[in-house]
Amino acid sequence: METGFVTGGMKRVGRGVLAACLAGPLALAPLAAVASDHRIALVPGGPHPYFAGWEPGLTDAAKDFGIAKVAYQVPAEWKLETQTQLLESLAAQGTNAFGIFPGDAVGINSTLGELKAGGLPSIAIAGCAKDPTAAAFCFSTDVFQAAYVGTKALIAAMGGKGAIVHVAGLLVDPNTTLREQAVTKAVDETKGAVTLLQTVGDTDNQERGDQKINALLAAQKDKIGGIIATAYISSVVTATALRNLGDKRIKMVGIDDDKIVLNGIRDGFVAGTIAQNPYGQAYIGAYALDLLASGCTVKPDAPWITTPLTAHFVDSGTVVISANNVGTYAEDLKALTKKMQATFKDTYLTCK
Amino acid sequence: MKPVTFLLREQWSGILLAVVLGIVALSIANPTFNTEFNWFVLLRSICVVALAAFSQMIMLGVGQMNLSVGALGGLVAILVGGLMDAWGVPAIPAASIAVLVGGGAGLLNGWLTVRTGINGFVVTLATASAFTGINLGLTRAVPFYHLPADFVAFGNGRIGAFPLLMIVPIIVTALLAIFLNRTVKGRHLLAVGGNSNAAELSGISVSRTIMLAHCLSGLIAAIAGVLAVAQLGSAQPTIGSDWLIISFAAPIIGGASLSGGSVSITGTVVAVVLIGLIQNAMVLLAVDPYWVTFLLGSLILAAVWINRIRTVRMERAQ
Amino acid sequence: MTTQVQSSSGASISITGLLTRGSTQFGLLIILSVLWTVFASLSPGFLSTFNLNSLGRSVAVDVVVGFAQMVVLATGGMNLSVGAIGVCSVMLAGYFLQVLGLPIPLAIAGTLAFGGVLGWLNGIAITKTGVNSFVVTLATASLFSGGMLILSHGVPLNGLPSEIGAFGKATVGPVPALAVVALAIGGLLYILFAHSVLGRQILSVGANSRAAEMSGIPVSRVIVFVHVLSGVLAAAAALMLTARLGAAMPAVAGDDWLLPSFLAPVIGGTSLAGGAASVIGTILGALLVSTIRSGLLILQFASFWLQFFLGVFLLAAILLQRYRSVLSAREQTRQA
Repeated sequence: METGFVTGGMKRVGRGVLAACLAGPLALAPLAAVASDHRIALVPGGPHPYFAGWEPGLTDAAKDFGIAKVAYQVPAEWKLETQTQLLESLAAQGTNAFGIFPGDAVGINSTLGELKAGGLPSIAIAGCAKDPTAAAFCFSTDVFQAAYVGTKALIAAMGGKGAIVHVAGLLVDPNTTLREQAVTKAVDETKGAVTLLQTVGDTDNQERGDQKINALLAAQKDKIGGIIATAYISSVVTATALRNLGDKRIKMVGIDDDKIVLNGIRDGFVAGTIAQNPYGQAYIGAYALDLLASGCTVKPDAPWITTPLTAHFVDSGTVVISANNVGTYAEDLKALTKKMQATFKDTYLTCK
Repeated sequence: MKPVTFLLREQWSGILLAVVLGIVALSIANPTFNTEFNWFVLLRSICVVALAAFSQMIMLGVGQMNLSVGALGGLVAILVGGLMDAWGVPAIPAASIAVLVGGGAGLLNGWLTVRTGINGFVVTLATASAFTGINLGLTRAVPFYHLPADFVAFGNGRIGAFPLLMIVPIIVTALLAIFLNRTVKGRHLLAVGGNSNAAELSGISVSRTIMLAHCLSGLIAAIAGVLAVAQLGSAQPTIGSDWLIISFAAPIIGGASLSGGSVSITGTVVAVVLIGLIQNAMVLLAVDPYWVTFLLGSLILAAVWINRIRTVRMERAQ
Repeated sequence: MTTQVQSSSGASISITGLLTRGSTQFGLLIILSVLWTVFASLSPGFLSTFNLNSLGRSVAVDVVVGFAQMVVLATGGMNLSVGAIGVCSVMLAGYFLQVLGLPIPLAIAGTLAFGGVLGWLNGIAITKTGVNSFVVTLATASLFSGGMLILSHGVPLNGLPSEIGAFGKATVGPVPALAVVALAIGGLLYILFAHSVLGRQILSVGANSRAAEMSGIPVSRVIVFVHVLSGVLAAAAALMLTARLGAAMPAVAGDDWLLPSFLAPVIGGTSLAGGAASVIGTILGALLVSTIRSGLLILQFASFWLQFFLGVFLLAAILLQRYRSVLSAREQTRQA
C-alpha cells in the first residue's frame, strides 16, 4: 500500500514512510469519503486529563473534513525527551503534520525545526512554543488573559474587597510566571481593596497539591476571602479542599472543567471556572494542519495576537462557567468552535 | 537506664529533637500552627507517606530495594477506584481486593528477584514501569470520580485534630513492630538483611524470606494507595508518582542501614513527621515558592548532620 | 542446537558455548543485537537515518548521565544529585553564553568546573560529616535545584549562539556528534578504571573501604575525587543536552535523570555495593533501554500502554541475559 506522500523535502524520511506503510497504524480512521490523504497527529506533553477533551474534537474533524488518518498519541511520561522521541518516531512513520502541546515552550523548538526541515508543518495547541519557533502558529488559550479574567471574576464574587491567595502550577513552567503577573495585575487594579496574601506554587500534582492547599487553608482560612487557582489539578484539589472544609464563605475561581470543579460550582463551593476549549483546539487544529500539509501558508498580516511567548497567537476561546451555565457551557463552546472554524482559513491562511 | 540516656542513645533522637524544636519555633512564628485544623492537616498528610516509608523500610531491612513502591501504590489506587466507580463494589470489599492484588504484585517482585537471581533493583525498576503502564493503559490519565460516600468520609473525617485516616497507619505500625521484634519470621528478615550468608548457614531460607519481605512491602504500599484515594476523594492515576525518594529518605534518615539488617520503626516515623513538618512550615510561613526546594534540602541536611554529631559524640563518650 | 567442533586440544567448541561465554557485557551485546534484528525486521523504519540519529542523540546524553552515577557507584556510594547538578549546569551554561556573552570554549570550561565544584561540595559533606552519601546527595539535590530556581526564577534562555544547537544536530559521518563525545568520555573513563592507579584505588575503596584504608589508600580523598568527577560528568551531560535542545531551560534534567542514571550502569554490570564498574556495560545498558523504547514507538505500541511494554521488555531482556550467564556457568562446569 503506497499512498501519495509526495510532500516536498520528504526524502530524508522517505524510507521510513515506505516502511511505515507496512506497519499497521493505530489511529482513529474515519469512514467517510477521504478528501485528503494526510496523516495528522496530535501529541500532548504527557498524560493529563485535560487532553482527553482533544479526542472527540479530533474524531469530528476527521469526519467533517475527510482527513485520511488522525492519531492522538500521548507520551508515556511528562518528559520532553519522551515527547520528542515520540514526535520523531511518528515523523519516521509518515505523519504529515503535527499538533503539539509543547512539553517545554523552549525545548520543543529544536524538534519542531527538524520537522519543518523535513517538510512537516506543526502548530502548537493548548500551549505555545516560544519565539523564534518553527511552529506555524499557536492555537491556545491566552494564559495571561485567562488568569486575569479569572482573578477579576473572583474579585467580583468577593464583592470587590478582601484578601486572596494564588494557587499555581509548576514553577519551572513559563506559563506560571505569566499567570502570576496576571493575578498581580488584576489585584493592583483594585487599588488596595484586594490584597494578594500568598502564592503557593507546584500544586499541579494531586498529592503534593492536597498537602499544600490544606496547609494553606489551615494557616490562613480566616484571613482568606478568595482563592484563584490557575492550573487544572490545582483547581481540582482546591475545590475538593473547600468542599471538605465545608465553608462556603471562601470564594474560589479555577480553570478547566473537571467534574469535581463543576460539582463544586453546582453545590456552591466554587464560584466559577474558566473553561478552555480542548474540543475546539483539536477540531480546528486538525483542520488547519490538514490545510498546512496541503501546502497552505500562514498569512503574515492576519490578525495575530502577540503574547509574551509568541507573535503568532490565535485565541482558541474560553468560557466563564458559573452556576447559571454549568449545564450548557459545552454547547456554547461547540458553537464558538463552529463559528471560528468557518472563517479560520480565510482569516489566517493563504491557500492556492 | 534513665529515660533521657535511653533517648540519647537512640539513632533517631537527634531527629526527634529537631521535630520538637521545629514545633516550638513554628508555634511562636505562626500561632495558627497550633489550631486543631492545622494539626489535622499535618497528621493526615503523613499517613500515606508513613506507609510508603514502611513499605521501603521492610525491603531495606532485608537488604534489598523496592523501586516499585509508588507504581504499585498507584496501580492499587486506580484498582480500588475502578472497582468502586465502574463496578459499584462497596468500599470494604474493594479495598480488600485491591490490597490483596498489591500483595500479589509484591509477591511477583519477590518471585522474580529470587527465582531469576536478578538484582532486585533492576527487577523492581522494570515492574515499576510495567505497573505504571497498566495504570496509564487502564485510566488513559483520567481519574475515577464516583466513590462511595462513606469511603470519602473516612478519608476526611476527624475527631478533633485526629484524622480517622490515621487509624490505619497506627495499626500497621503496631503490627510491624510486633512482627520485626517478636516474631521468628521478622527476626529472620533482619538476619538475612544483616548477613545473608550467615543466615543461610543457620538454616534460614533466604529466598523465602526475601519473597515474604517483598509481599509485605507490596501489601503496605497497597494500603498506602487505598488511603491516598480516600484522602483525595478520587482515584487519581498520578498517585504514587512522588513516593520513591521519600520512601527511601524517611527510613534512612530515621537510622536504617542501606546495606540491610538494621531498621528503626520509630526512627522512620519521626523522620516522616520531620519532613511533613518542614513542608507544613513552608506553607504556613508563606515562604517564597521559589525558595521552598532550597530550604527543604538545607533543613534535611541540618537535621541529619546534627544527628550525626550526636552519634559521634556518643561514640566518643563510650 | 549446537554444532560440535573438535579442536586440536580435544575440547569441543559449540555455538552455545560461544553464545554463553563471556561477561555480562557480552551478553548485553548479544541481546541488543537480537533486539535490533527483531525490531528492524518488524519495521524497517527502525533503521532509518532519522530514527538512528534520534536514538544516537538521546543515548549519548543517557550514557554520560550513567557515567556520572557509575563513578560514584564504584566506591559503593550514590549520587542522587546528578540531575540537580545537571540542571544547574544547564542554566549556568545558558547564563554564560547568553547573558555574559562568553566565548563558547570558556563557557564550556566554566560549566564543567562548576559541576566539579558542586560535586566537591557533595564529597566534602560526605567525608567530613560521615553521613552516608544517599542522604547527603538527597539533601544537596534539593539545595542545588532550589538554588537554581531562586537564581533563574524559572526563566528559560533560548538566545544561545547558534553553534550550540548546530553541534547538537551535527553528525560525524553516520554518527551524531554527541554520540562521538559520549564515546570519547567513555574511552577516558575506561583508561581511568582499567589502566590507572587511581582507578584501581577507586574500585578498592568500593570493594572494601576498611581494607583499602589499611593498605594506605587515602579513602576520603578518593571519595571526594569521585564526587568531583561525577559532578563534572553531570555537567558534561548537561552541556550535551543544551546542545541537543539548542536552549537552556530549567525544566530539564532534575528528577528525570535519577532512575536512568542508575539503570544504565546497573544493567551493565556495575555493582550497587561498589567495587565493580563497567564503562562498556553502562553504554550497552543505556542503549538497551533506548532501543526498547525506540522499537516500541516505531512498532506503534498504543501510546498509553507503552510504559507497560517497556517494563516487560526490559524484564525479558534482563532475564535472557541472566539465563545466558546461568547457561555459561553450567557450560563451564560441564567442560571442567
